[in-house]
Amino acid sequence: MVERPRRRFLPFDPWHLFLIPLSAVMLLPLVWMVVTSLETEAQTLHFPPILWPGTPQFVNYLDVIRESAFGSWFWNTTVVTVLVVASNLVLCTLAAYAFARIRFLGRGFIYFVLLATLMVPLQVVLIPTFLIVKQLGLLDHLGALVVPNLVNVFGIFMLTQFFRTLPIELEEAARIDGASRLSILLRIVVPLSLPALATLAVIQFLWTWNDFLWPLVTILTNQGAFTLQLGLSTFQGAHNTQWHLVAAANIMSMVPLIVLFLLAQRYFVRGIATQGLKG
Amino acid sequence: MSAASQDAGTVTPFRRFLVSDHLSGWAFILPAVILIVVFGILPIVWGLILSFQKAGLISPDREWVGFDNYARIASDPKARQAAINTITYTALFVPISILAALFVAHALNRKIAFIRFYRLAVFIPVVTSTIATGIMFLWLFDKHFGLANWLLGKAGLGPFGFFEDPNQAMLALVVMTVWGWLGFDTIIYLAALQGVPQQLLEAASIDGASRWTSFWRITWPMLGPATLLLVVWSTISALQLFDEVFFVTKGGPVGRTSVVVFYVYKLAFEQGLGSLSLAGYAAAIAYVLFLVILVLTLAQFWLGRRVIHYAS
Amino acid sequence: MKGRLLVVMAMFGLLMPACSGGGDEGCTEDPANGQFCLTFWHGYTDYEKDWLNTALDEWNAENPKIHIDPLYVNNDSALQKLTVALQGGEPPDITYQYGSSLAEVADAPGLVDLSDWVNQPNVNWDDFIPGARSAATFEGKVLGVPALVDNLAIVYNKTLFDDAGLDYPSPDWTWDDLRAAAKALTDPAAKQFGFAYPMDASEDSVWHWDPLLWQNGGSILNEDNTQAAFNSPEGVEALQVFTGMAVEDQSVFLDIQNSAYTNVFNSGRIAMLETGPWDLPSFPDVDYGVEILPGFDGDHQTIAGPDMWCVFDNGNGREQAALKFLQWLTSAEQIKKEALATGHLPIRLSVAEHRAFLKNFADAWPGVDVFAENLTNVEQARPVLAAYPSVSTAMGNAIVSAMLGETDAKSALDQAAAEANDALAAGG
Repeated sequence: MVERPRRRFLPFDPWHLFLIPLSAVMLLPLVWMVVTSLETEAQTLHFPPILWPGTPQFVNYLDVIRESAFGSWFWNTTVVTVLVVASNLVLCTLAAYAFARIRFLGRGFIYFVLLATLMVPLQVVLIPTFLIVKQLGLLDHLGALVVPNLVNVFGIFMLTQFFRTLPIELEEAARIDGASRLSILLRIVVPLSLPALATLAVIQFLWTWNDFLWPLVTILTNQGAFTLQLGLSTFQGAHNTQWHLVAAANIMSMVPLIVLFLLAQRYFVRGIATQGLKG
Repeated sequence: MSAASQDAGTVTPFRRFLVSDHLSGWAFILPAVILIVVFGILPIVWGLILSFQKAGLISPDREWVGFDNYARIASDPKARQAAINTITYTALFVPISILAALFVAHALNRKIAFIRFYRLAVFIPVVTSTIATGIMFLWLFDKHFGLANWLLGKAGLGPFGFFEDPNQAMLALVVMTVWGWLGFDTIIYLAALQGVPQQLLEAASIDGASRWTSFWRITWPMLGPATLLLVVWSTISALQLFDEVFFVTKGGPVGRTSVVVFYVYKLAFEQGLGSLSLAGYAAAIAYVLFLVILVLTLAQFWLGRRVIHYAS
Repeated sequence: MKGRLLVVMAMFGLLMPACSGGGDEGCTEDPANGQFCLTFWHGYTDYEKDWLNTALDEWNAENPKIHIDPLYVNNDSALQKLTVALQGGEPPDITYQYGSSLAEVADAPGLVDLSDWVNQPNVNWDDFIPGARSAATFEGKVLGVPALVDNLAIVYNKTLFDDAGLDYPSPDWTWDDLRAAAKALTDPAAKQFGFAYPMDASEDSVWHWDPLLWQNGGSILNEDNTQAAFNSPEGVEALQVFTGMAVEDQSVFLDIQNSAYTNVFNSGRIAMLETGPWDLPSFPDVDYGVEILPGFDGDHQTIAGPDMWCVFDNGNGREQAALKFLQWLTSAEQIKKEALATGHLPIRLSVAEHRAFLKNFADAWPGVDVFAENLTNVEQARPVLAAYPSVSTAMGNAIVSAMLGETDAKSALDQAAAEANDALAAGG
């Protein structure tokens, strides 16, 4: 590896000078939430906010779990999210591969029609989607949260774009050798697309995990089907909100997202050694 | 699933390609298409029908009014204001967020100490709920007690109204949403940057190319598809902005941040219930927005096709 | 990657304690044998929820045949959620709704008309606070059971008054008195404000101003609710009190969020607030006093914001069961318990005027007795009309615009009147 000799003015990489302030700005709300989650209720009733609570009230976290159905909300949200992410990874990959690589009748038209569904705001389709879910008998259950989200057009869109960037020679060679489309997809395209797939997994996980409006309108009587976001809203009354508990609950519900991101990082940023593998 | 391609025998290789292509193409997209038709297309058609009616969302009464709802938009000053606000917002948000993400992704695409921490930090805002973000920014930008004015005061700059000032609220909204979406755009660019072969960049640097030239000539073109994805997606979501307006600015002050979808929501779920029956009118506005988004997206794809070189 | 993910999820499974669920033993519906499981949407949190759970436990134990299944719905989302549910033909049996939503839900399919039920002697309809009764009535029909009633008065920081050497507000004070006090108690250097106002242009911005309009002899709409009347000279004068304070005196904390003011007050930076009893628990750090609103010419009338329970007919006799429950929940005995546990004002006159109760009430919730007695100052109610939200939006924008100094009071109100008239013409 040849490296151009570079004069170093600083003992560390100059990018740190940009990344540290950037991180500070990005982390501000998290820091604020952590601080709030460790305050007593009275301390949260200050504006401007108190920035250091004195004695950290770790008990807030226990209170959230004890005084509410946090465990149940967490479990429901996990089940729904895992199912939705898994389904999207499979169905979006299949569809995107077809749109990117297979010439079939109506391809362009269908692709556009699918994309068009992203262009109508949720508020407009909220009620008709609700009616359809009701017809399918899914209302009031986790099924209502899973089934309509099994495919997210954004995933198809994103993966199609990524698949198009892959060099086609590998796939063409395999086709000449008589491999089926499916095996090309699974054995050649997917391994090369791990960054995109990991990205999609994280994004879809995030969207499903944090969804509020849809669970709000589809869970009508069954408080046992509450997801985390619905559950969080039980701490927020119209007039009085228990901010210390809301913050603690929010932090706890963000943990899986953070863990997932850290795990997925190795996939969207691969090491130099595996770059540009050919043949 | 794609069994057609196993067809041996009398069909010539060229023809075999075609038939199996159509079949396998459809087989691959079928599950997704069925789901989207049921949960995506049908509701959109329902909404479209609603836009031709005078309808409220509580009472079951419906009355056909043809294109009246659409005609009404032209003479509605609130709709016009919502349109202007939405366009202003989008014109600011899309370029700023994408350029910022590109720069940050470039910064994060290296192996230096703490890089995993930096990447996580950039991603955290995306994971934070809109409500929590909103509360934070409302405090940050508070005219009297906020951190922003405190810092600016130290630099001798007068207190700003931000969300309170009709002329600044839109900018404050842009800042808040760019901040919130930066991580999302960044990880997409980061993933795309992984496709840029390191050997190419190294070869270029050996040949004496400056870092800027390598970026412009090698990296940037390979980011074409990702950029198109982000431009299209950011435009689509900016034009449909809702959550931040609903939870934070509430369209204010005095309607200066009222965007189209927020106006649609107010009409359908607040003002248009009961006998005023404005849900149909709200739907009409939403479908005009839909047309705008559709045309813009088509334009972006067309432009992209001429400018982007895909790896094939 | 898959293996690792599974491990991580298993870890979460272990860390997660066993479901500490909502504690609801399943209820199986059997209308033929009179067994009902009713859905009950409420927005109670914190100590309110504690009271509700105790009350529900009591009811469910004594009435196993009518089992109440509570579901939490944030009050601000209640109307939207109901709207969607109605479209799907799945309304709850009972739902809490803001009084201002009544005109919206009035023609909802399945909404029960309670006009006959209220005439039953054990309901004792006339015992409910008059403002609550009229807010539950639309076009002559009673469509809700009163759930909550409150009113606006002034809450002030005694310490700030003491430090400035000012007298506390008195029952016969005027708006000029309040303006002068606010000005004296404003100190830009110390970031202290004499007064505060909600500036999100929502109904909150409007109903905080309505008492001044009414006290000065103005009204929101004309007699037959066809034209706006709030831009009369009386209305302009009434708005100029607030614009004078906000723009000229700069003595008002303009709360764009409409939620920062409680914390700012609790931090000792606001001297006076116009608010209701629900905010009192948010002021643990302030030595506060409560006084009725200032008046114009001795008129100290205030405004009430009643909320109600709406009942939907889901067939099979559920409606009667629901009403039986609501009648119990709003009986004098339960109202007393509710008031003492939550600080909610009693919605029945017999309780509100009961001396011994008031004393206990004021002991448990300092300052709330002034609000309870202030209920007698509630004379008028806001119009219950389908077009009201549009009128409210127009008024809210006008008030905020004028208080920001963007327009003057008269132009702002005239503009709002024009918009309101359009909405009134279109509706109904």
